[in-house]
Amino acid sequence: MHGRLAAPVAVSGSRCYNRRACQRLLPSMHVKSPESRATAAGRRTMRRAIVSALVRCAWSPTLVLALGGPASAQGLPSEPISLADGRLVVSGDVSGSISSEPDSGYLNAGDYEHDELRLFRLGVTAALYPAGRISVLGQVRTEGWDQVEPYALFVRVRPWADRAFHVNVGRIPPTFGAFPRRSYGKANLLIGQPLPFHYRTSIQPNAVPATADDLLDVRALGGAEFVRYPLGAQTSEQGLPMVNVLRWDTGVQVGVGSRPVEVLAAVTTGSLSHPLVADDNGGKQIVGRVTFRPSAALSLGVSGARGAYLDDDLLDVLPDGGTESFTQVVVGVDAEYARGAWLLRAEGLASSWRLPAVEAPRLDERLRSIGLTLEGQYRIAPGWYVAARLDHLGFSEITGTRFDREPTPWDEPVSRLEVGVGHYFLRNLIAKVAYQQNRRDDPYPSPGGFAAAQLLYWF
Amino acid sequence: MVRRLRWTLFALSLVVPGLVGLPAQQSTGVIQGAVVVADDASSVVRRPDLFGSGAPVPRPGPDRRPSVVYLALAPRAAFDALPRPRVSMDQRGEAFVPRVLAITAGTVVDFPNSDPIYHNVFSLSPTRSFDLGRYEAGQSKWVRFDQPGIVRVFCDIHSHMSAYILVFGHRYFTVTDEQGRYRLDQVPPGSYQVVAWHEPFPSQVRTVTVPDGGGDVELNFELGPE
Repeated sequence: MHGRLAAPVAVSGSRCYNRRACQRLLPSMHVKSPESRATAAGRRTMRRAIVSALVRCAWSPTLVLALGGPASAQGLPSEPISLADGRLVVSGDVSGSISSEPDSGYLNAGDYEHDELRLFRLGVTAALYPAGRISVLGQVRTEGWDQVEPYALFVRVRPWADRAFHVNVGRIPPTFGAFPRRSYGKANLLIGQPLPFHYRTSIQPNAVPATADDLLDVRALGGAEFVRYPLGAQTSEQGLPMVNVLRWDTGVQVGVGSRPVEVLAAVTTGSLSHPLVADDNGGKQIVGRVTFRPSAALSLGVSGARGAYLDDDLLDVLPDGGTESFTQVVVGVDAEYARGAWLLRAEGLASSWRLPAVEAPRLDERLRSIGLTLEGQYRIAPGWYVAARLDHLGFSEITGTRFDREPTPWDEPVSRLEVGVGHYFLRNLIAKVAYQQNRRDDPYPSPGGFAAAQLLYWF
Repeated sequence: MVRRLRWTLFALSLVVPGLVGLPAQQSTGVIQGAVVVADDASSVVRRPDLFGSGAPVPRPGPDRRPSVVYLALAPRAAFDALPRPRVSMDQRGEAFVPRVLAITAGTVVDFPNSDPIYHNVFSLSPTRSFDLGRYEAGQSKWVRFDQPGIVRVFCDIHSHMSAYILVFGHRYFTVTDEQGRYRLDQVPPGSYQVVAWHEPFPSQVRTVTVPDGGGDVELNFELGPE
C-alpha cells in the first residue's frame, strides 16, 4: 500500500456485480477496479453483464469513490534524501549509455579515455548545512566503476542574508560558459556532449611539439593516448579540449547579483582546458562571466578566461627555460531563449593557446580554435521531446613542410549533428535515443555515425 | 454495434442514477478528527544546488503537505450534481501553492505563474497527463480534470517543485488544515470506509458508522512509515 491510495472497487450495497462492466459503462462515475482488470472471467462475461450491471449501479444505495491508479506514479525515489534534520541532503544521478559501435575515432572521447556514448556514470551529490549561511557541497562520480573521483568539494559562504553575494572556495563549479553549468544529467538534452566542451585537440599540458610539423602530424589524434611530442613527458596523455566540463577546477569563486544581471568571477589553479586540484605551474587562471536576463524567456551571457596551462616540468626542459608565459585565453558568448514548448540555445567560443616556438618550422603564432554549438528542444507531448544539436570546431592555420607547405589547420576541423528523442517514463527516469553524425576529414578511417541510447535516473 | 450500445448505456447511466438519491428528510452526520503525521518526512527538500548562490528561498506556505481524508464508500447521491468550481494552483517561490489540491471530477485548475522566472508545469499521471510548456510571470494556463484519480504535478525546470491533485468522483473528501484537522459534513447514516491519505506514507483505511439519527463521529488517524 505504500504510496498508493486505498481505492476500493465498486460495490452495490451488499450485492456484488461485474465491476469491470461498471467501469466501462459508467465513465461518469469512474468506477475502476484493478482487480477486475486482472480477472479474465470478468472480461469474458463483460458483455453479458452490461445490462445487469447498469441496472444494479443505478439502484445501488452506495457507490465507491474511484481514485483510479496509484497515488504516485513514482515507483522509485524521486526526492533527495534528507538526514540530520535537514542538515545533510543527498541526491544522485545514474546514467547508462550504449552506442551502435565503438568510437575508434575519439570523436566522443571523454575523461579517462571513456567513450561518452558507451558509459555508465554514477554521481552522488551532498550538501551539508552546518550553520546559517555556510554550506559544504560535494559531488563524487564514477565512470564505468574505474575509479571514484571527487568532482566538486567546496564551501559556500553567503556573508549577508539580504545581499546577493556568495563565495565558493574549493573545487568549485565552472564559471565559464552556459553549458558547463548544466552539463550533467537531465540538463543535457541529448546523449553526446557538445564538441567545444569535450573534444580532444592535439594540444597536451605536459608535452609540446617542437615544430609545426610535429603538430600537423597528429591532426585528429587528440583523443588518442599514443601521441608523443618531442618535448616533455613521454607518458600517455590525451589532448586538451577547448573547455573541459568533465572536471572542475580548484579556487575561489565570487558571485554577485541575481536577476537581471549576475556576475561570477573566479581565480583557479588550472585552466579551462586543464582544470586541476593541485597547481602544476604556479600560474593562476582568472575567469569571469556576466549573465543578463532581460526576461524570463531570454538569457544572454558573456564569459572570458585566461590561465597558464603548461606543466612546470615541461617548462624546465624548454630551450629558453620556459621564461615565457604559456596561456590559454578563451572568450565565449551564449544565449538561451525559451517559450512554450520550445527551447533554443546557442553558444560560441574562441580559444587560443600559446605554445613554445622551438625549432623551424616554428609555431610563432598562438594556436586558435573556435567552437560553435546550437541546440533546440521541442516538447511534442507530455513526457516526450525531440532535440537536435549542431556543433562545429574550427582551427587556425599554420605552415610547416607538410601539405605542400600550404597553410593548414593545426587540427582537423570537425562538425557534428545529433538528433534525438527523449521520453520521461517518470519525472526522474528518462530514456533518450539519438543519432550522431560526425564529419571530419579523417586521416584514419573511423565511423562518423553512431546510434545511441541512454537511460538516466536521478533523485 | 457494440460502440453504439455502449454510448446508449452511457447516456442512460447519466440519467438513471440521478433518479435515486438520498431521502429528502434523512438526517446526516459529521465525520471529523485529526490526522497526525509522523516525523518530518513529508517536508520539502531541495536537491543540492552546486550552481546556486545559497540564497534562501521564500517559503510560500507550510513545508508540510496536508493530508486528504475521503470516503471510500460514498452515498450514491454524492455522485450527482458534483460541484465543478474553477480553482487555482499557484507557482510561487518555486513551489506549487497549495501543494495538495482535492477537487471533484470536471474541475478546471488554473496554474498561474507568480514567479519572475519560467516554470513548466507537467504531469505524467495516467489519470491526466499534460505539459503546459514554459510561461512567465503573470501568465496562466489551465487544465480540466475529468477523471478521478491522483495526478502528480511537476515543474520540468525546478525538480524540487511537485504537487498532488486528487480528483474525486464524489464530494465526500476534504483537505486537512494546518493543525491536521478535518471534517466531512452531511454524511448519511451508514457504515463507511474512511481513508486518510498523505504522501509518502501508506494510506490508512478505517471503518466508521454514522448512526441513523446523524450526529458527530470522531475518527483520528496516525500516519507514518510502514
